[in-house]
Amino acid sequence: MAKEPRTPEEPESGEAITRRKLLGWLTGMGVFGSVLVTAFSNFIFIKPRATYGQPNRFSIGKPEDYPSGSRMTLDTRRICVVRDGDRMAAISTTCTHLGCIVATSETGFACPCHGSHYDQDGNVTGGPAPKHLAWYQVSLAPNGEIEVDKDVEITPGTYFSV
Amino acid sequence: MSNQTKAGPISFLTELPANIWHSIFRNPLPDSDLGRSATSFTNFFLHIQPVKVHRHSLKLTYTWGLGLISLFLFLILSVTGVLLMFYYVPSTTQAYDRMLDLRGTVAFGIFLRNMHRWAAHGMVAVVFLHMCRVFLTGAYKRPREFNWIIGVGLFLLTMFSSFTGYLLPWDQLAFWAITVGTSIASYAPFVGNDVKFLLLGDTSVGQEALLRFYVLHVAVLPILVTLLIAVHFWRVRKDGGLSRPPEEDEVFPAATPEPVAMAPAAASAVVAVPAPAVKLGEKAQLEKKLYGIQGIVRGPFTKIGNVPDRSVFSWPNLVSLELLVFLITVAGVLIVSLYFNAPLEQPVNIMHPPNPAKAPWYFLGLQEMVSYSAFWGGVGIPTFEVLLLLLVPFLDRKPGGVGKWFARERLLANSLFMTFVILNIVLMIIGIFFRGPNWEFVSPW
Repeated sequence: MAKEPRTPEEPESGEAITRRKLLGWLTGMGVFGSVLVTAFSNFIFIKPRATYGQPNRFSIGKPEDYPSGSRMTLDTRRICVVRDGDRMAAISTTCTHLGCIVATSETGFACPCHGSHYDQDGNVTGGPAPKHLAWYQVSLAPNGEIEVDKDVEITPGTYFSV
Repeated sequence: MSNQTKAGPISFLTELPANIWHSIFRNPLPDSDLGRSATSFTNFFLHIQPVKVHRHSLKLTYTWGLGLISLFLFLILSVTGVLLMFYYVPSTTQAYDRMLDLRGTVAFGIFLRNMHRWAAHGMVAVVFLHMCRVFLTGAYKRPREFNWIIGVGLFLLTMFSSFTGYLLPWDQLAFWAITVGTSIASYAPFVGNDVKFLLLGDTSVGQEALLRFYVLHVAVLPILVTLLIAVHFWRVRKDGGLSRPPEEDEVFPAATPEPVAMAPAAASAVVAVPAPAVKLGEKAQLEKKLYGIQGIVRGPFTKIGNVPDRSVFSWPNLVSLELLVFLITVAGVLIVSLYFNAPLEQPVNIMHPPNPAKAPWYFLGLQEMVSYSAFWGGVGIPTFEVLLLLLVPFLDRKPGGVGKWFARERLLANSLFMTFVILNIVLMIIGIFFRGPNWEFVSPW
């Protein structure tokens, strides 16, 4: 009962590639690639291009609204506006530890969630906070109002002269 | 042929109920072993179980029914969750009002919410206890390594389901717990900030975050949990049933009496007829081996040939036990829900975090660690612990001590595991009772 082999003969050395192997390999890579592309597209899909929350660049009113020596906390914007003579700065009130809102205290800022403390300039003086409170870029808009951009962090201690 | 003359519209009507019944249930209530196996075999819901189950698997003092309780709590959560979805709106302006409506106007609303909340707390606890049971009895060892990994996945999904559900009432507790939780995620190296942004769909917790957590909570996570539960159960059967000590499968146990005396056919005891334990030589045994369909089931637990049959029929032995566990679980959830209302705090006020802002109890161990170091407490140590859990069956390959509580052979492994468990519980207790405003140490007395 000598039968013709139904499958093509295996090459002598294992390294040579048969047509079947190559096609199988190409199909496998094609399927794998499609899965990867699909997964990646889904990932892109769920990452929003535009957000619906508050804008990160906003006006906080005229410089005259902030008298010299004042420290005003804008809760909804999560910043503290500091004015010292002609110099102004916007310090974040979002705790750098885990995102709670810090309250102003006599010595600076204190976080109610995990007990971090900061001094008047936002430097850590105690608690688990890993770094100082962010300072945001302050600028004067053409209409004479002060503008804060929370997307741009600046070196702490850098004031804007009005 | 004479019978057919009787068949007619009248007899169709009189036989209608019986015919409908028999079209659904092919088997009458069984009174023979054949019937008992057919009952398990022909019923869609019962065929998830094996026809016969080992006696050791039925010992409540071995499993404490913890896996079953987890499943039943998940079912309760699914049912109550779907009912709550009829009234809930994932909107920052409406969610909290809907919570109040559940209290005030929806019939049984508060009761359903209580059931959902307490069953969720219960599931976190019971899944964890189930994991402890499996570890302490060495049930993760070969061939059950992969099922242990599925189990760890289910544990993490349970925690994540609970976390996502936590935001939905949109009260103060929810808002700040999620603020803290997603900030912890942002400490993950390289991907942290992207993970946070993807979870929140925005730079801060708001409407987008609520919608995302809602979708995860009601669709994505339950589907994943259901899928993993299916694999988990399937693997339990393919890996040879629940773990048990090897002595239970010995061919000729030394001086072990037959578990139950051969009952006369009329007796009510439902016992599979034990295979006759004929003493044969080792070689003769091998020759006499018969390979049936079970022969292709892999794993060392499927024994073929002269194995003493210490299994019993699932119907009614296993089914009645499962029913008992189910009733106890439902009763427990109902009683707790009658007496205790699920907490609801003030509506969200993004200006004023509560002081202290505490996560739910099962995350307080994590929060306590986070108060020392956000990276190590929130990311480093938990990741290390999860990796360790996943690798357990591959780090501990010694075969001894499977199927027994506190086996002497497993003293080291069990002690190490219990050290981790107790450490986490101590951290949790500190977080729950000993932390006051500004996360400062307070005495509860």
